[in-house]
Amino acid sequence: MEEKNQILEEHIASEYKYGFVSDIDTEFAPKGLNEEIVKFISQKKNEPEWLLEYRLKAFRHWQTMTEPKHWPHLHYNSVDFQDISYYAAPKKKATVNSFDEVDPELLKTFEKLGISLEEQKRLVGMESKIAVDAVIDSVSVKTTFKEVLAEKGIVFCSFSEAVQEHPELVKKYMGSVVPFTDNFYAALNAAVFSDGSFCYIPKGVRCPMELSTYFRINSAGTGQFERTLIIADEGAYVSYLEGCTAPQRDENQLHAAVVEIVAHRDAEVKYSTVQNWYPGDKDGKGGIYNFVTKRGICLEANSKISWTQVETGSAITWKYPSVILKGDNSIGEFYSVAVTNNMQQADTGTKMIHLGKNTRSTIISKGISAGKSDNSYRGLVRIAKGAKNARNFSQCDSLLMGDQCGAHTFPYIEIHDKTGVVEHEATTSKIGEDQIFYCNQRGIDTEKAIGLIVNGYCREVLDQLPMEFAVEAKKLLSVSLEGSVG
Amino acid sequence: MSLVINQSPVERLTAHFEQELPSLYGDAALRREAMATLREKGIPDRKWEDYKYINPAALFKQPHVAQARVGLEIKPEAVTLMVLQPGSALAVVVNGELREDLSKLDRLPAGVRVKSIADAVVSDAVAREYYNAVNGTSADPFVLWNNALNKGGVFIHVDKNVQSEVGIHVLHISTNEVAAVSHPRNLFVIERDAQIEIVESFETLGPVKTFTNALTEVVVHQNAIVDHYRMQLEGQVGHQMNTVNAVTQKGSNYRTYTFTLDGAWVRNNLNIRFSESHAEAHLFGLTMLNGQRVADHHTIVDHAIPNCMSNELYKGVLDDKSLGVFNGKIFVRRDAQKTNAYQTNRNILLSDDAQINTKPQLEIYADDVKCSHGTSTGRMDEDALFYLRARGIGEAAARKLLVRAFAEEVVTNVPNDAIRAYVENRLDHFFN
Amino acid sequence: MQASVEGKEILRGLNLEVKPGEVHAIMGPNGSGKSTLASVLAGREDYEVTGGEVLFNGKDLLDLSPEDRAREGLFLAFQYPIEIPGVSNINFLKTAINEIREYRDMDPIEPKEFLALVKEKQKLVELDGKLANRSVNEGFSGGEKKRNEIFQMAMLEPKLCILDETDSGLDIDALRIVANGVNQLRSPERSFIVVTHYQRLLDYIVPDFVHVLYQGKIVKSGPKELALELEEKGYDWIKAETSVAI
Repeated sequence: MEEKNQILEEHIASEYKYGFVSDIDTEFAPKGLNEEIVKFISQKKNEPEWLLEYRLKAFRHWQTMTEPKHWPHLHYNSVDFQDISYYAAPKKKATVNSFDEVDPELLKTFEKLGISLEEQKRLVGMESKIAVDAVIDSVSVKTTFKEVLAEKGIVFCSFSEAVQEHPELVKKYMGSVVPFTDNFYAALNAAVFSDGSFCYIPKGVRCPMELSTYFRINSAGTGQFERTLIIADEGAYVSYLEGCTAPQRDENQLHAAVVEIVAHRDAEVKYSTVQNWYPGDKDGKGGIYNFVTKRGICLEANSKISWTQVETGSAITWKYPSVILKGDNSIGEFYSVAVTNNMQQADTGTKMIHLGKNTRSTIISKGISAGKSDNSYRGLVRIAKGAKNARNFSQCDSLLMGDQCGAHTFPYIEIHDKTGVVEHEATTSKIGEDQIFYCNQRGIDTEKAIGLIVNGYCREVLDQLPMEFAVEAKKLLSVSLEGSVG
Repeated sequence: MSLVINQSPVERLTAHFEQELPSLYGDAALRREAMATLREKGIPDRKWEDYKYINPAALFKQPHVAQARVGLEIKPEAVTLMVLQPGSALAVVVNGELREDLSKLDRLPAGVRVKSIADAVVSDAVAREYYNAVNGTSADPFVLWNNALNKGGVFIHVDKNVQSEVGIHVLHISTNEVAAVSHPRNLFVIERDAQIEIVESFETLGPVKTFTNALTEVVVHQNAIVDHYRMQLEGQVGHQMNTVNAVTQKGSNYRTYTFTLDGAWVRNNLNIRFSESHAEAHLFGLTMLNGQRVADHHTIVDHAIPNCMSNELYKGVLDDKSLGVFNGKIFVRRDAQKTNAYQTNRNILLSDDAQINTKPQLEIYADDVKCSHGTSTGRMDEDALFYLRARGIGEAAARKLLVRAFAEEVVTNVPNDAIRAYVENRLDHFFN
Repeated sequence: MQASVEGKEILRGLNLEVKPGEVHAIMGPNGSGKSTLASVLAGREDYEVTGGEVLFNGKDLLDLSPEDRAREGLFLAFQYPIEIPGVSNINFLKTAINEIREYRDMDPIEPKEFLALVKEKQKLVELDGKLANRSVNEGFSGGEKKRNEIFQMAMLEPKLCILDETDSGLDIDALRIVANGVNQLRSPERSFIVVTHYQRLLDYIVPDFVHVLYQGKIVKSGPKELALELEEKGYDWIKAETSVAI
């Protein structure tokens, strides 16, 4: 017992690995939010009139809305939206033509994160190639592999760039999956988003490499409001990765992103996230408020969208990556591991909206709660009238470590067509002392044993991640849970 | 030209309350407090998470006529037709008030008392002790409404060590010539080591829309065993809100059976709280809906204490344009270690226009627990149907057989033969 | 050595010396403390050791954590092997082997070498190759679980093996396979403590010594024939003899 306590203390004291602050020359907008700020952002980005109009409409709508604080199983102090700077960008030279021109501090930042922006390294050293779009605070700073992708007609660039160079695509799809009226944070994002990633895969093209965005909040007192738009045209395929980190700060920081995915006929999009925003310290001080709207639409027949997420960070997580299954025979998937430790709170899950015939969805959610944290699964499965022969299978498991944490499931199941078949199962368990002892007896110490058992528990989800990401996720899981079983 | 100024529903409710208050029994302060809280909370609508799928607002808006004054006359022969179990004692509650003239209570053994709650809160120390005690600080608008306006109902008290062979049938009848609301109020107190079976049934007589807002408090003492049935049989015009708040003590076993077989609109709030360890609760439910009927089951099992067990099985068969809701909450509080809580909800949709919304909800704050819930919804097994038909069974008969088979898992848990036979009979006639 | 669980004394002064290569059988009626002995040696925390020492390769085992005892070369074949959902047998064993190797300042095992080892050792207990890829003990039959224990024993190459009622719940064929596996692992360096209620296991795993445990003490020790005597006469004569002695 004593030894376990010692381990516990060691790891409670252990530092968040990515908690460094980079010294980068940054340009800020003044704190506060009003129409002037919205205009300022739009101006900074040299945006066309229609986009400014869109932002203003969203802003005015946002002003009529209230913060959704009642239904989630979350407890936190309201955000002071006037105390945030809505624009922070690393100052950069007019154009970054080559790698050498990127701010060296920025490069160091990404090196510390383990992300190499130097494409050569990627090209030579690794089996699988990953194209990276790096977003720091709110601005996309560097996109790699653009030329290689361009040969295939793939557009992978920052959102701002897409606005300038592919306005017709942006105009057509932006807000088509998540309209600004959707919810409070989606409206806020639509008004003040500063950048993000944009990706278009043309007809019949299989993207030859993983596309990846790394998000990092760096500056103090800023919010990050990025917007991602992914379009897979007929028969296209893309696997998209998203990673997030933030420095350690005492005050809470706001992250309110929007991700929209559109899959046309026969297209497939795989979206994987390893979310490791700063979770706050062991007393719940600081940490990121993560209010994110992620949604994909299987617009036409035989399309497929799958979300895989490993959520270990953030003080507050409010996130429900969803799929609207509009096209017949389309498929939606949601694989999630959500870990909460110390004072973290997560209210996360998915929505599967079945509209088309023969649509299928799978939900595998694995919650792990430790410390004094609260972990909720909240999900909706709706079979609309006319969605003939729709199928859903949901499995929501909770694992509790210690007796101070909470694990909750709130599944909403709405079936309006008799041909729909929906199954939902949920279990709650804990890591048994007998399991740990068994591992000990085979020479495996308690920490390793927990890692082994947790990874086993999450296997169905981790198997969905691309290999390199899975390795990172496994490490992250072990780090997040170190010392939580006594 | 005429000018009509409509009162808001809350104002009408208040006016009606003020008018009725002088004639109501019991503690006027408690009634006023309930009414004040109701006014403050407002009338529930779809925006309330607990009333998301069925809009109850209209129920508060119908005219609040004092019901006893407009009720139809009930003949004893009519009552006989509504008796479910000839051998048991009978308590007849008409429009929320116990009618001793129609009841048959002389069959009860010594130690089992059934009386009007309006009398009991005056004359009976036990009734006074527990009246509104189980409700606690419930802010549910229907509980508040009943607290403000109930005119009575049944108080059942079983003395310790009394294991009654004779069950009690509480027959609730709503009778109406004009639309009205009644608020039956029951209190069941079962002392330690006692055993009793209580069957409540709900019927409507009369052509006009009725709304019954029943509220029952149940106290199950140490090692007592209670079988509590609710037979919801109100017809096309019957609307019903049925709240049961139960608290159970050490080693007790509280078993509930909810059969929702008829009624235009039925909402059940069944809340069970374990206040001491080693108690068990079983919740069985079967819902058969057709036409445009609506049934919404909300259950809460609150494991506030270690070492308790709960098991819940609700099934629903939905036909035509019916709407079903199941919302089962299980709370496992901090320190409620060694809890075993199981919940299953299964539904079949028989028609294109039927709908079911289910939300099995677990909130768990203790780690050494075994909890699971499962829900599934589907249509009738077409392969099985075909198989039966290939063996020469007509389609209608085959469907009947399969629905019977689906319901069997619940029906088989019913210990009372008469009730089981009654339910099976209703099942067979479901399609007619 | 003395040990107690929840304040109840279970082992009350027990002396036993096991030399390399020896097989000792510990027999005794139900509740005599046999399984407690196995658990205490492996370091289960439910038991409080109230006195004494257990010297193993010159170290006091009681000072070591369960995993360090395992790394020193102690192996317990569980009476009821634990299921670990989602963790494959292979991954489990590889982790264990590498942890033990690290403790001994050795490099991690080469994947090729590891797989060859798995193949070789599986044969010992006629374990189906597919079982190696399934989750640890999950969905295994009783016999498969026990064979898996011996397979793990073969993989980890311990110095002292404790078999806790390994014969319980096994039919005669499974018993033969398990015993055969154990016999092949016998060597001049490796010792065994076989804890069992019945003599039949000792038909297959022939011990050098038999000890009778009763009320937390070894009340009788002898050669392998003692087991046969016990089988014949039951435990009552031991009890009678003990009470006379007291």
